[in-house]
Amino acid sequence: MSFSELAVTATHAVDLAWAAGGPAERERHWLRIHGDAALAAWLAGLQPTHLHFGSEFCEHLLPAERVLREALRRVEEAGLRFVLLTPVASPDVLARLHGLLPMLPAGTEVVANDWGVAHELHTRFPALLPVAGRVLCRMTKDPRLHPGWAGRCGHGLAAPTMRALFERLGILRLELDMPVFADDGALEGLPLPAGVHLPCVYVAKGRMCRAGGLSMKGPERFAVGRRCRKECLRLAAEASRPGRDDACRTTQLGNTLFSRHSDAMAQALRRAADAGRIARLVVAGEPL
Amino acid sequence: MLAAAGATELYCGLVPPDWRGRFQSISANRRPSGNLASYADLAEAVRSAHAHAAALSLVLNAQHYAAAQIEAAEEIAGRFADLGGDALIVSDLGLVERLATRFPALRVHVSSVATCRNAAAARLCQARGARRLILPRDVTLAEATAIAEEVPDIEIEAFVLNDGCIFEEGACHTIHLPGQLGGPICLDRYRFRHRRRDGGELSARLAARLQENDEAYERWLWYRFSCGFSTTPEGLPFGPCGLCALPALRRGRVAAVKIAGREAPTARKLASVRMVRSVLDRVCAGADAAAVRAFATRLRPSEAHCATGHMCYYPEVLRAEAC
Repeated sequence: MSFSELAVTATHAVDLAWAAGGPAERERHWLRIHGDAALAAWLAGLQPTHLHFGSEFCEHLLPAERVLREALRRVEEAGLRFVLLTPVASPDVLARLHGLLPMLPAGTEVVANDWGVAHELHTRFPALLPVAGRVLCRMTKDPRLHPGWAGRCGHGLAAPTMRALFERLGILRLELDMPVFADDGALEGLPLPAGVHLPCVYVAKGRMCRAGGLSMKGPERFAVGRRCRKECLRLAAEASRPGRDDACRTTQLGNTLFSRHSDAMAQALRRAADAGRIARLVVAGEPL
Repeated sequence: MLAAAGATELYCGLVPPDWRGRFQSISANRRPSGNLASYADLAEAVRSAHAHAAALSLVLNAQHYAAAQIEAAEEIAGRFADLGGDALIVSDLGLVERLATRFPALRVHVSSVATCRNAAAARLCQARGARRLILPRDVTLAEATAIAEEVPDIEIEAFVLNDGCIFEEGACHTIHLPGQLGGPICLDRYRFRHRRRDGGELSARLAARLQENDEAYERWLWYRFSCGFSTTPEGLPFGPCGLCALPALRRGRVAAVKIAGREAPTARKLASVRMVRSVLDRVCAGADAAAVRAFATRLRPSEAHCATGHMCYYPEVLRAEAC
């Protein structure tokens, strides 16, 4: 493999001791997390380099300052580099980020999934490095599609207008999902170095949260702006369509629908990695 | 008809005749249907809107445009400008600046599909040449009015009626499939099996709570999807509605409100415009929030549905009233 970076994601301050272990320990770790022996064996050969911490999808999972401080400490102890994940931002998220971003060392990458956050990073926090996250790097990833729809599943990241926007906002890296119908040309022609997520793609995210309704009653049970008890950290739901032959397994986690890579996607990902088209693998650090 | 009923702005989509052949894509915008099919139709739409003192906007609001589609989108915008059109509704922020620069006679409005819902995003849109930001559906009244107050140099538009989404439209990377293939993913017949992420067993109590939550969610979905896509005998639509929030939106300097559903039958659009206009006229005449709410809930009438809050774009209006 010609890429050199392996990032692990986390929404809370996780134990990172395994990351310093040898391949056997890492293989056990990945097998426990993702239950896929082939994936675990592949990832075991890679030393983690980054921790992507926070949430790309939920404003309630943006860490508090105390939690961020603890995560920064653990990352330093583990010898990893820290990357802050940020979600689509309400005005409240933006205000909280104004407390969090000054805590980050210069040169820290911040994954923006909101154009306003990217703009704030560029104009008010120039020492930080903005990365365009999966919400901004749009492509059709509907897990129900059959190959006849492949022509509609591209991305627009190479368009000159997007390149100009990335440049204007000082965005230096991208984060992507694997295309649903990835072939050997997948991920070619991207305008910036890309990190690619595995083993799931994000399909759709809401601001409404089904699991979040569990502890609510009344008119605002599924409304935005309500309280949250973070049920998604404990619970998930497998989503299936009776009578349909979908190639990918779909899971709802909080406000977001994820789809596990099909075998074809997983193989295409490895080929793209081997061909040097992926700058960083970004692996889910917690089981869905 | 819509302008005569009180709409001051209209919007439409166009799929030029050669678009499908060039790009193997069924639409040049977010919707597969409900689009004009020719520039002659677009010219007639501009003429008709202006004859009734209404402005006409054209949507270029696909989730994204591939490199090869950018020039084609620009061509559509250029032809619209030549026809005397008023505004473009654009979702791709890269395209916003290009269009605002090249077609200064057209206003550029940033689509709700861009998912810009904070003041920093509004500032970015304004700096790229946009004159208006259309907020996504899922914002609170406090958020909408805070953005309008903090960034007064860009107009803010908010949803007021029809067509709820479950996921955030700009963060939903799916296709509204034909019904026989499942339809929109949020309406597809998924079955959900809850589990603990740590692999442990669900307790009987938690399983029961999850079942109750699923039932409540199904009820909420029914409201979100226009109460089973139903109307009153007079054709007034049930479903997502922000009529009671109009006083707060107006007070909060929200410049425009949006009736969604350009794919809908004309009768539904007409009824929707009449509903919004009748409430808006009362707001502009100085009616207080309680009087507006009483009038709005009796319009269909829909007191029972309204009391659930599940039809509300801004259910916090019920909380405000309770206080």
